[in-house]
Amino acid sequence: MRYKILLLLWLLTDLAVFIGSYALSYFLKVGWIMSTDFPFEPYITVVAIVAPMWMIVLITTRTFALTRSQSSMRNLAYIIYSSAVGTALFALGYYFLYGLFFSRMLLLYALVISTVAIWGWHLLYSRFQRMMLRRDPPVFPTLIVGVTRESRELIKKLNKGSNPLRPVAVLDGKGCKDSDIDGVPVRGKLNKLEDVLGEGITHLIQCSDLEQSLNLLSACRQNKITYMLLPSVLGIVERDEKVESLEGQPVTMVGPKENILMWFFR
Amino acid sequence: MHAFILAGGFATRLWPLTEKRAKPLLPLAGVPLVEYLVRDIPEDIPITISTNAVFKDAFESWTAAFGRSNIEILIEDVKSDDQKLGALGATAQWITDARINDDVLLLTGDNYCGFSFDAFLAAASEDTTLIAVHDIGDLNKAKAFGTVIADGTKVKGFEEKPKEPKTTLVNTGCSLLPKSVLSILVEHAKEHPDNVGGVFEELLNRGKPITCFSFCEPWFDIGSFDAYIEATKELIGDRVIEEEGSTIGQTTCQGSVVIGERSSVSGSQLTDTVVFEDCIIEDCVLEDCVLDKGCTLKGIDLTGKMLREGTILERK
Repeated sequence: MRYKILLLLWLLTDLAVFIGSYALSYFLKVGWIMSTDFPFEPYITVVAIVAPMWMIVLITTRTFALTRSQSSMRNLAYIIYSSAVGTALFALGYYFLYGLFFSRMLLLYALVISTVAIWGWHLLYSRFQRMMLRRDPPVFPTLIVGVTRESRELIKKLNKGSNPLRPVAVLDGKGCKDSDIDGVPVRGKLNKLEDVLGEGITHLIQCSDLEQSLNLLSACRQNKITYMLLPSVLGIVERDEKVESLEGQPVTMVGPKENILMWFFR
Repeated sequence: MHAFILAGGFATRLWPLTEKRAKPLLPLAGVPLVEYLVRDIPEDIPITISTNAVFKDAFESWTAAFGRSNIEILIEDVKSDDQKLGALGATAQWITDARINDDVLLLTGDNYCGFSFDAFLAAASEDTTLIAVHDIGDLNKAKAFGTVIADGTKVKGFEEKPKEPKTTLVNTGCSLLPKSVLSILVEHAKEHPDNVGGVFEELLNRGKPITCFSFCEPWFDIGSFDAYIEATKELIGDRVIEEEGSTIGQTTCQGSVVIGERSSVSGSQLTDTVVFEDCIIEDCVLEDCVLDKGCTLKGIDLTGKMLREGTILERK
């Protein structure tokens, strides 16, 4: 419930930021007056009509996904793309409604300001959302399976970055001498899985014990838990893996290192 | 004489088969492991099975179904591995609490012993500890067990899980302890509650005689998935066991295959695979697999997997 409210609030505030950035663009271009040559009311009406469509485009980029880091370049690229689509929709909408075109500079202002405003707001809001989602009891308590160098690093990153997925327990197939990892208790071996999952776990991240992946998946499906797998379990440790599709069948791909431009054509 | 079977372990290496089942109740060739031990113990010997609270109901159900009147289930009141008394600790507590003043046939519930207990008990002599030993034939494998250095039937030395084994003769988790050494066991358990084999070292240190009963029949310590599969292969050989209500259609079976009660297999290839009860397998290729009860597999190929209860894998 906490997550749904926060998400709804995010969507609504995003709409407000989008409309606000277009209003700011108007006043920056026209001046801080209510022009009669280029009236504000029809302008903002079109923005209000286009805003939900822009929102749909933004949602399809999965920018609101739990796993998305708002500060990543990839996310910024998606926001720029959505803003560009928003600007295009606005220009088309204005033309369809009033049969008029207007200042190209205003469109540029709208594109730049909406992009910066939305990205800035996302950076701020995601920090607030993460803080709220991690408060006790955490909304997404996460179980880490496997004590390895990779899992230790992951736990530290999740905690340091205040990720919404808050590690609350660690299990290891062969047992582990540590009583906790970065403050997260090591609860024992996999025979404790059922007990731990019964404590409201929403996500499970497998970091070792490859031979048990089927059983961990099975337990996740039975308990409606999201399953994740670190590529290091498969021996992929160089952060160069991608999930691609071969004739619709998903495959994990690790290609040879090539010129960066070839990335687009592989 | 009183038989005491240790069945309190959580068997984490056999997870997920032991997720909801004690290892001694794991079916081996369709029969619970502990049943192989119990049915061979002479009827007049009372049996106490020591287990933990988690497996209490399962053991009580099994006892009721087995139908032998002189079996008592002793519950060690622990719910996890870290609260355990330890195998020797549990034995000592039972000896103390039940005021046992009798010879004790001490057995570990996760071992399959192919020899006859009648022969074993016949080899016992007055006031002498007797342990059943098996030549494992490989010094490396012997590192995982208690090794027995013997001169004929007389035990000269005992080393629990040695780094450099001197012999391939290993303890098989079956021993007869005369009542005169029970106090030593209780005393030793205070310091080493987990080390059952250590008690034999202690007895030798104190000059107490130990003899060994060496056997050539099959013996399995079901400690891991591989050991479970190997034991199944040895016991069943190249045949298929179809339990009550199971069906097999248009399926090729090779090696040792067990199909549990009410399970159905169709259009598949099964090699050295154990399927527990209430499973559905269609269009699958399975090799060296163990499927716990209630699994559904359709259009899947698997090798060397243990699947937990209720796993559903269907190729879309």
